[in-house]
Formats: sequence, C-alpha cells, structure tokens
Amino acid sequence: MAEVSIELKTAPADFRFPTTNQTRHCFTRYIEFHRCVAAKGDDSSECQKFANYYRSLCPGEWVERWNEQRDNGTFPGPL
Amino acid sequence: MIESQRHSYHLVDPSPWPISGSLGALATTVGGVMYMHSFQGGATLLSLGLIFILYTMFVWWRDVLRESTLEGHHTKVVQLGPRYGSIPFIVSEVMFLFAFFRASSHSSLAPTVEIGGIWPPKGIGVLDPREIPFLNTPILLSSGAAVTWAHHAILAGKEKRAVYALVATVSLALVFTGFQGMEYYQAPFTISDSIYGSTFFLATGFHGFHVIIGTLFLIICGIRQYLGHLTKEHHVGFEAAAWYWHFVDVVRLFPFVSIYWWGGI
Repeated sequence: MAEVSIELKTAPADFRFPTTNQTRHCFTRYIEFHRCVAAKGDDSSECQKFANYYRSLCPGEWVERWNEQRDNGTFPGPL
Repeated sequence: MIESQRHSYHLVDPSPWPISGSLGALATTVGGVMYMHSFQGGATLLSLGLIFILYTMFVWWRDVLRESTLEGHHTKVVQLGPRYGSIPFIVSEVMFLFAFFRASSHSSLAPTVEIGGIWPPKGIGVLDPREIPFLNTPILLSSGAAVTWAHHAILAGKEKRAVYALVATVSLALVFTGFQGMEYYQAPFTISDSIYGSTFFLATGFHGFHVIIGTLFLIICGIRQYLGHLTKEHHVGFEAAAWYWHFVDVVRLFPFVSIYWWGGI
C-alpha cells in the first residue's frame, strides 16, 4: 500500500499582525493577492502564495462578500 | 443684607421652578420617546416639554438675578457657591466632548476591515483643513482674547469699554458659527455617510452647539454690563461665562488638530 502524505499548511506568521485576532492579516493577504494579479497578470505563479494565505486565514463568507463587492465596485479596501 | 439677619448666607424662598423644570424634563423625555416611535401626540408632548423647560430656565434665572443684583443676597460667601459649582460643570462638559473625540480617534487610528482599513473611508471627500477650519480656529481664539479684554475692563471699572469688548467677543463668536454653518452646508458628505460622517458631525456639531450656548451666555453678560449689573467687585455671571468660553475655545483645538488636520491630509 502506497503512503499518501498530505502536507497541511497555513499562512506563515507575519510580524505586521502580531495579535491573536488575524482579521487584518486575512484582509491584507486578500488585497495583496488582488494587487499582485492586477500587476502581474492572471496566470502569474507568483500570486498563488497570497491566494493560499488568504484562503487559509479568511472565513469563506467574507471572501464571497468581498468578491461580490469587487464585482459591484463597492469594495472598500485599497486595491 | 436684611437688618435682622446675623449671618451672610442666602436662605432662599420656596420656589416653584425646581418642580416645573422636573415636569418639563419628564414631558420632554416621554414626548421624545413617543415622537421617535411615531406615537400619536408625541410631537405635541415633546414641544410642550421643551417650552416648559425654556420657560423655567427664563423665570428661574430671572429670580436669581433679582435676588443677587436687586436684593443683594449674593454676599461674598454666597458667590463662592456658583463659582465653585461652575468648575465641576465645565469639567463634566469636557468629559462629554472628550467621548466624541475618543470615538473619532477609535474609528480612525485603526480603521476596521469593514471600511477597508483606510481613513478616510473610500468615497469620502474630506474638507481641506487649510480652508474654513484654519480660518475659524483663530477667529474663536481671538474671541477668547476679546473676553479677557472685557474682563480687564470690568476689573478696571471701565463700563463702556467692557460693553465694547463683549460686543467684539460676541461678533467673533457669530462669525465662527456662520462659517461653521457654511462648512456644513458645503460639506460633500453627510452624517449618514459612514463612520467618518457620524464621528465628524457628532464631534464638531456638539462643539458648535456649545459655542452657541456660550454665545448666548456672553450676550446676556453684554446686556447686563450695558444695564450696569456688573461691578468690579461683583460679576460672578461674567466670570462663569468667561470660563465657559475658554473651555469652548480650548476644546476647538482637538477637532481642529485630530479631525480636520490629521484626519484630512
């Protein structure tokens, strides 16, 4: 029987966000991902890490809401 | 002082104004709640209560003025009461306004994720602090200097000069309020535009409201100075108005520095 090893990883500790509450960390990674995509293009491999970070940190509903807000042009963050 | 009286304290006569003021306050709160919940008669009760309070304020202060200026009950020791009393009153006013500046700082120093983590929030066109705010601050501070001029004139017994100084003080105050009204009228945001609008109008609005109260206080002092009520030995009402005016003056610096200037650049 072949051993399948799955590597589980979350976002690394970031000293900009030293508090237990990681809301701002999640939000910043979300913004960083979209800024990266805007600067380097959709299929740039460099941006993938930001996506992994925010998907690991942010609750799904928040991401859905922010995606909706970006579509409507009502996203409040500095994109 | 009355001949038979062997002490210098003022034993006040029974007065209907405490209970009438209380009833006015009761009608105002109940009427206010009814009005805000669209109950029938709410607006009527609220207006009635406010009229009652304003009436009580007028007649109560009229009585105090008669007792002090016309009947001479406010001896040196009696004057200590309103003098000491006005200090905790002003301190409580400072704390009241501090709460709104604290709310503003709380919202702006670490803006929440809900407003995108930025200040001012997206879409808020802030006012240029170098325009009306930078003009209005020295106008209010100058009127604080003018009230000191009036104080010195009263202490020197120059009655006419004191009236002129108070006219100057009140004029500067009215110019301040006029400019503040213009700023509100031209502001590109309203009180319902995000936490920025809420904190901006709450803080500057309550400060402006206190400027109006202080202006009315100084107008009364000016009229009483003109009528010869204030002497160089006895002018507690004027001193309280001057302290109140300096409080309003100093408090202006907080919204100017933290809301208009820091929050606007």
